[in-house]
Amino acid sequence: MLVNDPEAAHWPVDPGRLDLVKEFRAKPRGPHSDELQKLLHRMRWSGVGRRYVLIVLEPNRRWMLGRMPGKRGLPIETFPNHVFTDLAEAEWAVFALRWEALTGQRLEDAESKPE
Amino acid sequence: MTDTTAVLGYAWPLVVSPGEEVVFHLSSATLERAEATLLRVRCADPDPSGPGLRFEQPGCPLDGSVTLRHQPIRPGSCAVVPDAPALNRSGSFSVACYILPTAPLAGPQTIISRWRDDTGEGWRLGLDAKGRLEFVLRGQGRHWRATAPRPVIEREWIFVGGMLDAAAGWMTVVQASLDPQAGRDTSGAASAEGPREFGWPGETALVIAAHAVEAGEAPRTAGHFDGKIDRPRLHAGALDAASLRASVETLAPVPSQPDLIAAWDFSMGISTDRVQDVSANRLDGVLRQLPMRAVTGANWDGRTVQWTEAPELYGAIHFHSDDMNDAGWSPDLRFTVPPDWRSGFYALRLRAREGSDDPVESFVAFFVRAPLGKPRSKLAFVASTATFLAYANSALRLDQVHAEAMLEGVIALSRDDVYLQEHRELGLSTYDTHSDGSGWCYSSAKRPIINMRPRGATFNYGNDTHIIDWLEQTGQDYDIIADHDIHRHGAQALAPYACVITGSHPEYFSRQMIEAFDAYQRGGGRHIYLGGNGFYWRIGWHPEQPHTIEIRRGMNGLRTWEGEAGENALSFTGEPSGLWRSNGRPPQRLVGVGFDAQVFTRSYPYRWLDAARDPRVAWAVEGLDLDAPLGDFGLRGGGAAGLEVDRVEPTLGSPPHLLWLATADQLGYGGVPTLEELRTLHRGAMGDQNARVRADIAFFPTSRGGAVFSTGSIAWACALSCAAYENSVSRLTGNVLRRFLDPAPFDGFDA
Repeated sequence: MLVNDPEAAHWPVDPGRLDLVKEFRAKPRGPHSDELQKLLHRMRWSGVGRRYVLIVLEPNRRWMLGRMPGKRGLPIETFPNHVFTDLAEAEWAVFALRWEALTGQRLEDAESKPE
Repeated sequence: MTDTTAVLGYAWPLVVSPGEEVVFHLSSATLERAEATLLRVRCADPDPSGPGLRFEQPGCPLDGSVTLRHQPIRPGSCAVVPDAPALNRSGSFSVACYILPTAPLAGPQTIISRWRDDTGEGWRLGLDAKGRLEFVLRGQGRHWRATAPRPVIEREWIFVGGMLDAAAGWMTVVQASLDPQAGRDTSGAASAEGPREFGWPGETALVIAAHAVEAGEAPRTAGHFDGKIDRPRLHAGALDAASLRASVETLAPVPSQPDLIAAWDFSMGISTDRVQDVSANRLDGVLRQLPMRAVTGANWDGRTVQWTEAPELYGAIHFHSDDMNDAGWSPDLRFTVPPDWRSGFYALRLRAREGSDDPVESFVAFFVRAPLGKPRSKLAFVASTATFLAYANSALRLDQVHAEAMLEGVIALSRDDVYLQEHRELGLSTYDTHSDGSGWCYSSAKRPIINMRPRGATFNYGNDTHIIDWLEQTGQDYDIIADHDIHRHGAQALAPYACVITGSHPEYFSRQMIEAFDAYQRGGGRHIYLGGNGFYWRIGWHPEQPHTIEIRRGMNGLRTWEGEAGENALSFTGEPSGLWRSNGRPPQRLVGVGFDAQVFTRSYPYRWLDAARDPRVAWAVEGLDLDAPLGDFGLRGGGAAGLEVDRVEPTLGSPPHLLWLATADQLGYGGVPTLEELRTLHRGAMGDQNARVRADIAFFPTSRGGAVFSTGSIAWACALSCAAYENSVSRLTGNVLRRFLDPAPFDGFDA
């Protein structure tokens, strides 16, 4: 049985690489440099902690931040105070949460962390 | 936010002809009634950047208020053997089988039983919460139990048995690992006091892989087992462990042994939902919720990988606690489709709480086909019902580690997805894994399918309706025929049409379906394939139950689970499964192009190639600027070439007469080749460095005036409506369709 290992992505994140943060902020949907691709893969493969997702409130117009429970059958956690009207902003918000989870450093213009 | 799940339902049959009855099975846990309206679907995609939801309301007696009730779904497969005199005995007995447990720590589960939960009477052999084998007897207000000292190991074959020696008042549980070395030996036995008198509960079914919760021939069940069970045996008398093991080991028990109560041979009738007892008592049973058959047994040794060649090596059934084939809901609405209705994608819309903050709008999809041999148009559009079933209730984006990396962005979940996360009882898709980690290989339409309906996930069903929307917009009449009909009736289903269009992602084909298209094209038929990753997987359809498919993923192809060794042949038909490319019919041979890559970062335009200036295809490019990009727009990633894409490949069968009209071969680093495109591992395989990662547009004539036109991209369909349908993608599609409906042959190609 072949399974994907959520811990397999191990590219080391350098907290000093704020240039990658800046590149992502400018172009969340890419195209991205090789190094930023590696950072994004590191973030996306495991989801870093429990996986953040978006919940569609209005098709292609409005999204709410959510977080997967990590187990089948359990409800998805929702954050009604974190609603986006732009997918790029949503990507940035999730990026910032994961950056903080990986480096312990909060980005200056990140949204407040959902409680 | 519209509530799309407060009421759910399914239509049966999924595909009906005008004049036939369709029955709606509905359920709501919260609503007492809803407003029902029958609609013909023009566009099912709610994205306001596109056409948006568009319907026709034909008006029918069904329209109006419908009373709702809650109908639960009870997943979990098992075999049920109705009560019989041979099962009604007292005194000593022994029960045993081989098992391969796949989720031994998921909770207590029953391997074989004659037990009823409501009164707590009977016997059962099962695993306790710690994964330890236990043999339990209960009756006359007393309770006896023997538990093995060590838990079983996940995915390791083990012999398990339980014996009651009533004369001695003693019971034993025994297990023996089949590979007792290297830390895998959990063999052992335990004995405990047992009853001297023990009457089995009457009118109670014997159940394999679960236990009954009540009396009767068709009881509800609980305690479902996850894993394989091979060669269950039931004997009168208390056998010693060696004798019991020998009884399980033998492939051909002697039926005349007077103490042999039952010996089930799961290698018999593998394509059916029945299990056969080879003892003299004929205690045959019926399978519920379609557990996986044609799986390797404890004796499989690799001498064949094809169950039809040595069925005796395939005497196991893999049961899953979440198997779901038939929701079993009672009907709520019946409707006979008027004979004069147009074929089409149809849906029953159910609305409630209108005007509130949380209005309900839920759909139940079905299809009205053009009756066989009675076309009403020269054009048919194929409802890819096999593909819709393959993806039915996909939880890939909820469960699979790779999903966000593959899709290149944060996952956006619809309200349907949120519901599915909590309601796994709906049964998942063939892209998913069961709760024990094994792949789903079956999918049926006798359950709500929440991603095959308006407002649902756009992949497949929603994207395909963009083609319907375009046909309506351009005033083109058409019939709808479904995969199910093409499988059932073969080329006859296609033959009446001058032209047939397949949609955005017609991915799943049985041999009969492939042969129908091949015969149609060779017989002068014209086929427009407006999608990507089509004609890819080989499936089988259930021999008796309509709208039920099977896929074995095997070890090649873009697969979200890997098939187990020796289990790549279809239980329904005995045929090999896997990729059509691995079965001698690569898609390139049928439609000129075949799947080569995914690209989810964004979609791209095509550029025209020299062949587009060939005078033999002047009709195709009329009014198009061959120096301008083709399809640099679209609702999926901003281009017409994207998501999943196909390429021309002569070595895989793209025909010599093929004209390669256009290509999108600059797909960037997000263009990721499919696994079967790589011989060896090396860097440089992504689209930024690899010209074989691309989408191609191709045309070729076939015999007797037939022809094929392929666009090789899933994103194509969702570019048709851009700029108010006045765009190059729409223009090219329209040019080709017009020419394909014109019976004039395609000249200039040698014979």
